[in-house]
Amino acid sequence: MRTLFRTSLRIAPVMLLLFCGAAISSKAQSAKLQLDQLDALANRASNTVDVKLDEHLLQITWKIFSDKDPEEKKIKELLQKLKGIYVKSFSFEKENEYAPAEVDSVMLQLRGAGWSKIVGVRSKKEGENVDVYINQLGDQINGLAVVSMNLKEFTIVNIVGPVDLDKLSDLEGQFNIPDLDIARPNKTKKDKDD
Amino acid sequence: MKTKLTVAGLTLVLAVATPLRVLADRDGFNDVVKAIESFYHVKHQSLPFLARTGMKAVRTAAKIRGGDWKRLAEAGSARVVYFEDQNFDSRGQIAAFKAAVNNTLGQDWSTVVQTLSPKEEEQNYIFIREDGTKFKVLVITIERHDATVVQATLRPEVMKELLKNPDEMGKQITDEATTVDP
Repeated sequence: MRTLFRTSLRIAPVMLLLFCGAAISSKAQSAKLQLDQLDALANRASNTVDVKLDEHLLQITWKIFSDKDPEEKKIKELLQKLKGIYVKSFSFEKENEYAPAEVDSVMLQLRGAGWSKIVGVRSKKEGENVDVYINQLGDQINGLAVVSMNLKEFTIVNIVGPVDLDKLSDLEGQFNIPDLDIARPNKTKKDKDD
Repeated sequence: MKTKLTVAGLTLVLAVATPLRVLADRDGFNDVVKAIESFYHVKHQSLPFLARTGMKAVRTAAKIRGGDWKRLAEAGSARVVYFEDQNFDSRGQIAAFKAAVNNTLGQDWSTVVQTLSPKEEEQNYIFIREDGTKFKVLVITIERHDATVVQATLRPEVMKELLKNPDEMGKQITDEATTVDP
C-alpha cells in the first residue's frame, strides 16, 4: 500500500504536467475551425478544393524555404509561426445550389468566443461578399478566417496561429490559397460580430 | 506474485508493441489502391516495368537536357498503379470516397490538397510525409475512365515547389512516373 502511495505521488506531477500541456494546446487550437462537416457539399458542387496544411506539415516544411530569397524568406517567417492553413472552397454550377443554412455550422463558430469580425475589410472583387475574422486573446492573434460567399460559391480560409493581416497577401495564390484581393482601409477599426 | 508481475509486464509490452508494429507495417500506397478498388469496384494494373523504364528514360533526358530541367522524383523511388478503361462512377457519393481515402491514410500522411469535380468524375489528392531528410509524396488522380496512384520520394527543393503549386506539381509527378519516353 505504501509503495502504491509513493508511486502515486511520483506519477501525480507527471499527470498534472500532461493535463496542463493538453489545456494549453487546446487553447492554441481554438482558432482552428471545424470544417469537415462542409464536405457533404462536395457531392453537389461542380468543383471542390480542400487544402489542409496542418501543424505537423508546417513544422516539417518551413525549414526548406530559403533565407536568401526575399520572397521565400517572407513565406518561411510566416509558416514558422503558423499552426495550420485550411481552405475549403465549393463552386456550384447554378445559383442557390447550396443553402446558407448548410454553412451555418461554420458561421456559428465565428460568432463564438474569441472571434471578431474586422470592419472595413472588403474584397476588391466585385460581387463578392467577403468577411474577415480574427481570433484574439488579448493582443495576441491566434488565428484568422476569411469567408467569401456568393450565390454560386462558398470559400473559407482558416489560418491558425499568429498572422499579420498585412502579410496575408504573401500567402495568397500559394499553397492553393485563393487570391482574395483583400483591401484594408482602416487598420484600427474592429467590431465584435454578435 | 513475481510471476503475476512478469506476466502483467509482458502483456503491457505486447499491448504497446502490437499497435506500433501495425503502424510500421501500414502501407498507405497499397491501402489506398484497395480503397479505390473497393469503392469503385475496379481492378488495378501494376506497371512496375513501365515505371522503371519511364524513370530511366527521364534520367537520360535530364542528362541530355541539363540546365533547369530536373527530375522530380528520386531515382527508383516511384511506385505506380494504373487503372485503365474502367468506370469511375461516384454515384453522387464523392464525399464518401474522399472520407474513405482520408481515413485509409490516417495520421501517417498529411494532406496537402484535394480537388474534386463530381460532374466530370475528376479527383486529385496529394499527401506527403517525412522520409528522413526527404519527403514521400502520394498523388492520386482519378478521371471518369482512368486513375493513377503514384508514390515517390522528393528532395526538399522539389517539395518546396510542390507546396507552392500543388496542382501543377502533382500532375508533373504523375506524368513523370507514368510516361515512357521513346
